Amino acid sequence: MITAERKPLEEIIECIRPYDRILLVGCNECVTVCAAGGRKEVGLLASALRMAFMKEGRTLEITELTLERQCDPEYVEELVTMIDAADAVLSMACGCGVQEVARRYKNKPVYPAVNTKFMGASVSQGVWAERCQGCGDCILGLTGGICPVARCSKRLLNGPCGGSTSGKCEISDDVECAWQLIWDRMKELGIQDRYEEVMVAKDWRTSRDGGPRKIVREDLA
Amino acid sequence: MSLKKRLSSKEFVVLAEMHTPKGVDISELVNNGRRIKGRVDAVVIPDMDNGVMRMSALAGGVLMHQQGIESIINIYTRDRNRMALQGDVLAAHVLGIQNLIAVKSETMSNCDHRDAKEVNDLDEIELLKAVRMLEEGTDMAGFDLSGVPSFTTGCTLGSFKDDAQLDQELAKAKEMVVAGAEFIVVPPVFDLEYFASAAEKINALGVPVIATVFLIKSVGIARYMSVTEPSTRVSEDLIKRIRKSPDREAECLKIAGETAAALKKMVQGVMIVTLGWEHRLPTILDFAQL
Repeated sequence: MITAERKPLEEIIECIRPYDRILLVGCNECVTVCAAGGRKEVGLLASALRMAFMKEGRTLEITELTLERQCDPEYVEELVTMIDAADAVLSMACGCGVQEVARRYKNKPVYPAVNTKFMGASVSQGVWAERCQGCGDCILGLTGGICPVARCSKRLLNGPCGGSTSGKCEISDDVECAWQLIWDRMKELGIQDRYEEVMVAKDWRTSRDGGPRKIVREDLA
Repeated sequence: MSLKKRLSSKEFVVLAEMHTPKGVDISELVNNGRRIKGRVDAVVIPDMDNGVMRMSALAGGVLMHQQGIESIINIYTRDRNRMALQGDVLAAHVLGIQNLIAVKSETMSNCDHRDAKEVNDLDEIELLKAVRMLEEGTDMAGFDLSGVPSFTTGCTLGSFKDDAQLDQELAKAKEMVVAGAEFIVVPPVFDLEYFASAAEKINALGVPVIATVFLIKSVGIARYMSVTEPSTRVSEDLIKRIRKSPDREAECLKIAGETAAALKKMVQGVMIVTLGWEHRLPTILDFAQL
């Protein structure tokens, strides 16, 4: 999933300070799962903003709505009946959702209420960790199902650096060395011999380095 | 007189661009540099900004310095992060390079190493500010330097096909001047009449303007530029002039020389770009009477 964290309240307040009527829009997908911008977080943020403005002697009119998917034009269309009654939109979706609202409602200012972080997985209750950088040319089949692009701090493709100590990365004891994990997994699978295979310099064209990416499925388009 | 002094005393400056080799054979670069020593104020050494992996501009600039030729090296942000850029800028000063140009670069997908990763840690404006910071004695992280570099630093103006686009480019250029650019290099000029009006606007930036004189080497190149790069304003008359000439090569050199001479009345300098014909630079300078 795409993970996100809510921005500090002060930053959000500064963005919407010029406005009296805000349409606060959540998303029922990834940001709901990572508890950053779903229905519950929309309600909490709306209350916090109302209170903050009330302290300043101002009344902020907030309309709350959580869309099924804010990155999908079909659902973003649902805002059409309420967009005119708002001075600005505050979106709690990831960057994809914010941009979809901005694309559809060209004359309406849209502000993000969350910081989009990474594509990750749930590690334990309330903990998410980065797992994929969307490089566009998956090598998980070569690395025992653990991604060195996303999980090695240096994105090394041919084994660990000298900073790997007792399975931990030199940047922090909280970060596991991806290459230790890869080695352990290969051993478990009995494919240690693959570790010796040298990967060639990666072709980054399929990643963001080839410019903004797009998928066109002619069978569906 | 150094380039810095010529620019500040409003003297006309002549620059020539020379590429480093793709390899380590420096004989051509050094020989071409010697051919124009004393006839140009500085040699501009591009880096890999045009998308071809080659010997770094830093080395090229030092080679010119060793020949007693002042150099300007291009710096750009696609291939180096802020640490590498600052390190190279400090190295450049120590190795005798006095001038820099912060330039735009080709996107990696247009380079000869298309599979490489782009860095783009900074943009041109931030890079110019970083150079200024180093000159003021601190690095981008705010740490004091032991010994402070100094440069004459320029920037480039993006290509423009009409006044509206020129205004957009000038808006960006103003930011670069505020960020520290002390001169600006403008794209190749082929339509002198149109450029005369553009030059008035560009000169209003308040920094010396150096116009690029690009040597067209054949009818084919002229035609290609006219079709694929309308902003160059390569006219049918210009193409016809080369096509009808009994000695097309000489005509091309003459056109470049005449353009440089004409630009002397409009801007404070020219940068002659010959892309592989650096050995013909003396002839162009002869035609330009420079």
